[in-house]
Amino acid sequence: MFDTIIIGAGPAGLSAAKVLQDNQKVLVIDEYYHAGGRLLGQLYEEKKGKWWNGLKIAKELILETENKSEILVSTSVYDVEYDNNYTVHTTAGVFEASHLIIATGAREKSTPLPGWDLPGVMTVGAAQILTNFNRVKPGNKGVIVGINPLSMVIAMELGYADIGVAKICMPPRNIINTKSPKDAFETLLSLGSSAPSKFISAGVAVADKAKPLQQTALKLFPASGVKALGLPISIKEQVVTINGKNKVESVTVQKTDTGGNPIPNTKYDIDCDFVCISDGLAPLSEIGSLLNLKHVYTESLGGYVPLHSKNMQTELPNLYVAGNVTGIENAKIAMLQGRAAAFNILGYKGRLSDTLRHIDDERKNAKVKFHTDLIAGRAMLEDMWQLQK
Amino acid sequence: MTERITKHKILDDLELNTVSFTWNNHVLYGNEGESLTAALLANNIRKIREHEKDGQPRGMYCNIGHCSECRVTVNGKRNQRACLTPLVKDMVIEQQFEVPYVVKEGSPYV
Repeated sequence: MFDTIIIGAGPAGLSAAKVLQDNQKVLVIDEYYHAGGRLLGQLYEEKKGKWWNGLKIAKELILETENKSEILVSTSVYDVEYDNNYTVHTTAGVFEASHLIIATGAREKSTPLPGWDLPGVMTVGAAQILTNFNRVKPGNKGVIVGINPLSMVIAMELGYADIGVAKICMPPRNIINTKSPKDAFETLLSLGSSAPSKFISAGVAVADKAKPLQQTALKLFPASGVKALGLPISIKEQVVTINGKNKVESVTVQKTDTGGNPIPNTKYDIDCDFVCISDGLAPLSEIGSLLNLKHVYTESLGGYVPLHSKNMQTELPNLYVAGNVTGIENAKIAMLQGRAAAFNILGYKGRLSDTLRHIDDERKNAKVKFHTDLIAGRAMLEDMWQLQK
Repeated sequence: MTERITKHKILDDLELNTVSFTWNNHVLYGNEGESLTAALLANNIRKIREHEKDGQPRGMYCNIGHCSECRVTVNGKRNQRACLTPLVKDMVIEQQFEVPYVVKEGSPYV
């Protein structure tokens, strides 16, 4: 019998364990063979010369928790039941606790396109883990399909390991994918004035001063893309097929107009040995579904999230959520949310409100913003929670 | 050809602890404790499965256990996710192939 079981040994789960372990008997469960979650692959420059090295942070968190908490890796949770206590069924046995924290993180969404099942096609997250954690190159020359904050950050990480990225462009337009060059342009603008490309920085200035001028900037966006953040970004080109026999050999690219409509006779091939598909992240909320929690679809949080309060509480007693399962944000927020859930469990009201304030500050100052309407989405969720009560 | 990133601009140098394993009865070498997807890719093996229904080639996709595209047979146990399985010395890893009936259209087993 444990006091708290935490599902997910990522930034949220380990941060919660770190707070709880001095007062409680804690079990952390993770499916991967190494604790740390997606911290393991993260690597980006926060400020000039100041790096967010996820692997290092994960190792520190593991050092701080592995002796006082029980951390069970290579273990999958396949069912959870609630009957005054939480019973967690795993591939390593059945465990029970009075409190449960769901910190399962997110999954990557994918835009299907012809050829996406060929060996050599992978998610950007797969390429990230290979490059920064496994330290095996996903290939020598890649094409990234999908323009979003995650794909941009990981494209840069590939560069740090001297892996060539030939093009970052749009997915084909189809019934599933309706994103247009305008959406991609807004993503680029949301990256802020830190973008070193003159074109993008100018775009940001334009966007700040006069919204109507954005359409003009979009029209002027070069047909074969620009170099921004050192990356070959092309919002008016779509990868329409991935080609190869037994493995990726090339992609076929189609040029489009500003509205994303194909321009006839503009198809051409790019040789490459790997392709990354990226359509953003969605909260991994199956555990909440097993417990019949109400879920709310919130676009700016990445999809369906279990209804929860800003204090990380859910509808069930002693059941908490933390990290990307509550909405897609960066690892710093996830760590703070893990701490908030733990302080709530321990009844440390002062430290809880300090942590919540810290979360608000971090949200406002986040360098990588996954969604521009995130703060509004969070506020809506809190309103729904209050109504529910 | 894929290769290992032993030296990195920002991250520490990679320390290798090389062990042997077999892939479809061929002896290969990998870094102990790395995922089987990494070990196979470092040996330039991208195709790690043939689809149960039509025998089409498949490889690693998500690399974190969500998609199950990388399922292989490990020490005789079928359908192990290669991306979640750390490499152990002398591991016997085998590819899985098209199956004769189970999921084919018109089959009484569908």
